[in-house]
Amino acid sequence: MVKKNNWKAWLYLAPVIILMAVFTFYPLINTIGISFLKNYNYLTATSDGFTFDNYGYVLGIVPKVYTSGGQTFYLYFTDVIQKALPNTLFITFVTVPISVLISLLISVGLNSIKWFKKFLQTIFFVPYVTNAIAVGMVFGVIFADKGLWNYIFQLGQQHWIDASKDGLPSDWGHAMFALCFYIIWHSLPFKILIFLSGLQNIDKQYYDAAKIDSAGRVKTFWKITVPLLSPQILYVMITSFIAAFKEYNSVIGLFGADNAGWYTGSHDLYTIVYYVYDCISDGNVQLGAAAAVMLFIIIMLFTAIQFWVSKKRVHY
Amino acid sequence: MEKSNDSTQPQELSFTWKALNKVGIKNKQQRQADRESDPVYQRIDTHAMTLVISQGRLSAKRLEKSQKVGKILAIIFTYVFLGVMSLIVLLPFYWMLITSLKSNTEIRSDVQTFWPRVVMWSNYVTVFKHFDFGTYLTNTLIVGVLSTIGTLITTIFAAFAFARLEFKGKNVLFAILLATMMIPGEMMVITNYITVANFGWLTSKTGAFTAMIVPFWISVFYIYLLRQNFLQIPNELYLAAKVDGKSDWEYLWKVMVPLSAPTLISIFILKLMGAWNSYVWPNLVADQQEWRLITNGLRQTAFVVEGTSDPDYGLQMAATVVVTVPLLLLFIFFRKYIMRGVGRAGIKG
Amino acid sequence: MEIRLKNLTKVFPGDKKKGIPDTIAVNNLDVVVPDGKLLGLLGPSGCGKSTTLYMIAGLLEPTSGEIWFGDEEVTRLSPERRGIGLVFQNYALYPHMTVYDNVAFPLTNLRIEEPVLEPDKVKQGQIMADFDAKIAAIEKENSTLDKKKDEGKINANKTEIKHLKSLCRYEMAQAGTPKVDNDGRPLMAKRRLSKDEIDKIVRETAQVVQIEQYLERKPNQLSGGQQQRVAIARALVKKPKVLLLDEPLSNLDARLRLQTREEIRRIQKETGITTVFVTHDQEEAMSISDEIVVMKLGIEQQRDVPQAVYNNPVNRFVANFLGTPPISMFKGRIKDNKIYIGQDMVREITEKKVADQDCTVGIRPEGIIVDPQGSFSFQVERILTMGRDIMLIVKHPDSLNDIKFLVDAFTKVGVGEVRANVKPHKCFAFSLDGSEERIV
Repeated sequence: MVKKNNWKAWLYLAPVIILMAVFTFYPLINTIGISFLKNYNYLTATSDGFTFDNYGYVLGIVPKVYTSGGQTFYLYFTDVIQKALPNTLFITFVTVPISVLISLLISVGLNSIKWFKKFLQTIFFVPYVTNAIAVGMVFGVIFADKGLWNYIFQLGQQHWIDASKDGLPSDWGHAMFALCFYIIWHSLPFKILIFLSGLQNIDKQYYDAAKIDSAGRVKTFWKITVPLLSPQILYVMITSFIAAFKEYNSVIGLFGADNAGWYTGSHDLYTIVYYVYDCISDGNVQLGAAAAVMLFIIIMLFTAIQFWVSKKRVHY
Repeated sequence: MEKSNDSTQPQELSFTWKALNKVGIKNKQQRQADRESDPVYQRIDTHAMTLVISQGRLSAKRLEKSQKVGKILAIIFTYVFLGVMSLIVLLPFYWMLITSLKSNTEIRSDVQTFWPRVVMWSNYVTVFKHFDFGTYLTNTLIVGVLSTIGTLITTIFAAFAFARLEFKGKNVLFAILLATMMIPGEMMVITNYITVANFGWLTSKTGAFTAMIVPFWISVFYIYLLRQNFLQIPNELYLAAKVDGKSDWEYLWKVMVPLSAPTLISIFILKLMGAWNSYVWPNLVADQQEWRLITNGLRQTAFVVEGTSDPDYGLQMAATVVVTVPLLLLFIFFRKYIMRGVGRAGIKG
Repeated sequence: MEIRLKNLTKVFPGDKKKGIPDTIAVNNLDVVVPDGKLLGLLGPSGCGKSTTLYMIAGLLEPTSGEIWFGDEEVTRLSPERRGIGLVFQNYALYPHMTVYDNVAFPLTNLRIEEPVLEPDKVKQGQIMADFDAKIAAIEKENSTLDKKKDEGKINANKTEIKHLKSLCRYEMAQAGTPKVDNDGRPLMAKRRLSKDEIDKIVRETAQVVQIEQYLERKPNQLSGGQQQRVAIARALVKKPKVLLLDEPLSNLDARLRLQTREEIRRIQKETGITTVFVTHDQEEAMSISDEIVVMKLGIEQQRDVPQAVYNNPVNRFVANFLGTPPISMFKGRIKDNKIYIGQDMVREITEKKVADQDCTVGIRPEGIIVDPQGSFSFQVERILTMGRDIMLIVKHPDSLNDIKFLVDAFTKVGVGEVRANVKPHKCFAFSLDGSEERIV
């Protein structure tokens, strides 16, 4: 009755296939291709030939060569290697573990209470439905020189994100703190949701058995709850890693879009994605392409590592 | 699945273990043998041991008391922890609201207030009058609704094909689609920008809108979600419809779609929210500021105090409220759909 | 450890808004389980037996009543502190741990209590000197051996030295006098179990339930019967005062059930732990319990040794519940101290005087003797030869359920009308009022 090879299916799939071909598959190949082209001009789609130099330049190894007034200048671009990459790695390795731990504790707490459970669940989910940039600006106000954070903690006029008018910029440490705080804040809801649903799927009998086995609350948490939650923890870690690596909206929200702030202007708080978009607006598409491909490779690498680690620790 | 770690069978040592043994590292069986040959181990008298709980041999009454206290403390601690966390979560929203209603001088004063001394509704008026927010809102609504409807249609078609129809290469194609979810969007952005430029979409307003709508008419995640949903509709209904002489098309629209209404609503809302929150792509393809969307407007408008270049936080926050409140309203009314759609991702993993 | 349940009641609150009434799961249960005995809680589903078990375990709190372990009341004590072992119906083995870890888990949460010793320095010095001498001797021997040729002997000596050192430490720790407190009682201290101690206990317990070869496997690699033995091991490993089993055999296939039944009995007798187990299978309960409590809708129906419950059911429910095939029930009458089914007098009542009344008459399947001059007549519809017995499928106008009688294989009987005599002690009369108590 059901046709084995229903060609009509292809009609149904046509829109998706066409759109994906144009906007996903083709770009994928094209971007990789562009990353290997020298001086690619996207308006005319011409280039000066095949080269590895784009990667070299982004990595700060290969310089741009200028001649001016008879002199040759070599300009090494280190913003990615020295700023964007370390920043991105820092953000990732700081925010992911902290936010996973906090959201795990919150989820366990939520799962254990009887009253107000639904209510609190809803509250914790609110940051997810908001715009990263919009709320980033709110945090910008909170962390302003005369903002709420300084007021609550009586820190005077500590600079967090503002470029200062009196020539004393905030340092990387403070700015990064504000950024990480925001990113963690924003990433909690998704994690809590996943963990909570995972916790609810754990058979209550295991907890009963643990009680009979005289295991206290903390022991039960580490030896029973966490291992049984490991598939969700893995999923959350992988998606969080990838998301943290691609952080961009939060930086825009907190610090501003058009390099108005010192931080993004001097690229102190650069992230890899930020660099990619900068390249596009500057017209150096091939550099952006190279950076994007590198990003892709790093993400694949970390994901593979996480899967490999998970073989031993994740129990299905 | 028989791992020969079963301790009853003596094993031939593999080459690696023989080598490791030389350095003093032993495998599990050897370590166990060592353990059992230790005279102290042999002297352990398991029958003479008195095993007690960690609280010792206290009387039942004492234990009950400490257990009660422990329980109450745990509950208090949990609620306090959750309370503090939820305050941290909500505080920025509260702050956003009241800052938007404060005057600039109050915001910039040394003392922060938790309730505006003077309520400045005028901030909102200014935002709309002076800063073109009406335009941004309309732009965003148009782009959002059109891209959402388009996505729904393509998703319904594709999910139907994957769930109900049989065709060659079905599984391969689906696997490929799933794989594309792993690719960061940044890889595609560059080329897509070039593509839409070459289509000539960047030069006019309609063109810019098209560029903001069409590429986003597909979402593999929603196809996956809807397909799951379709698969749960019993196949018998399909066969019955066939017997009745209904075509696939009719079956799709008259049976499957109504049955999947909750999921479709989830997709609609989540997609709409996504369009509302988009920043990067509109920023790239909308050349003129008036063509841009609300988040662009939010970030790129310099909300400054009249005549100076000082940022006016009051105006900024008012604009932020305008951008954020619609989403919150959506959330309040459609909470179930939103949370269910997001949560589905985690179960399968 | 004697278990005592006093007026134990558990009420599950209903929902007034939805019109669901309160459920009384256990109603005033009063039972004593003597130390070292095996008690079976028997009854159909919903009779409150599992609820009772969970209250003994501490996983459910009683609405009222008391639970005593020995001379301590533990009614409100949390399960962690009761020192019991529980075998769940679905085993509840931790899926992410190996069998070894599953069984060892309770031990990691418990402590050993030992007397505190005042070290005897003199003795310790002696022991140390002793061992030092022995070790020195062996080391001397080692130094004279050829490194290559006698490698085996050298290694053996090295191991010997290691053992001696460890033994020395052990004896030193033991050399002392127990400290006492002001009242002259020895001072005790708690400590965690060492890895070796855990290992030894786990392996010994594994031997008792015969799962030694599965220790490195995960639960999902085991069959149902093996999983169950692991669950039992986990319950026993902590040397509990009380062992509880929740329908331990219901998930096993028939053949395994018989085998495991005996296992449980054997283990219980060997360890001497007071045990309570729950089942709906009367054969199970009958075969291994020291005493049975039959429950219906939360109320205890009868409590006695298995044979007594079978031979002297206290009411119709108990009579019906025990026995395979089930007891045959008829409409009947008592007149002049005789029990009649229809016109046939099936039994004369000799032990007491009973008023004339209508009643329900129950006859055990093994309760008839075929006799052409018998007082009881019925129609045999079918005959089933079952090897040892012959089962008669019977039709009778006053029957209240399927009538089945068992006679031995040599009985001459065929389809059609049959007459028989009823063994008096296999014939019961039950009242017709609500309680359906046994009249005689």
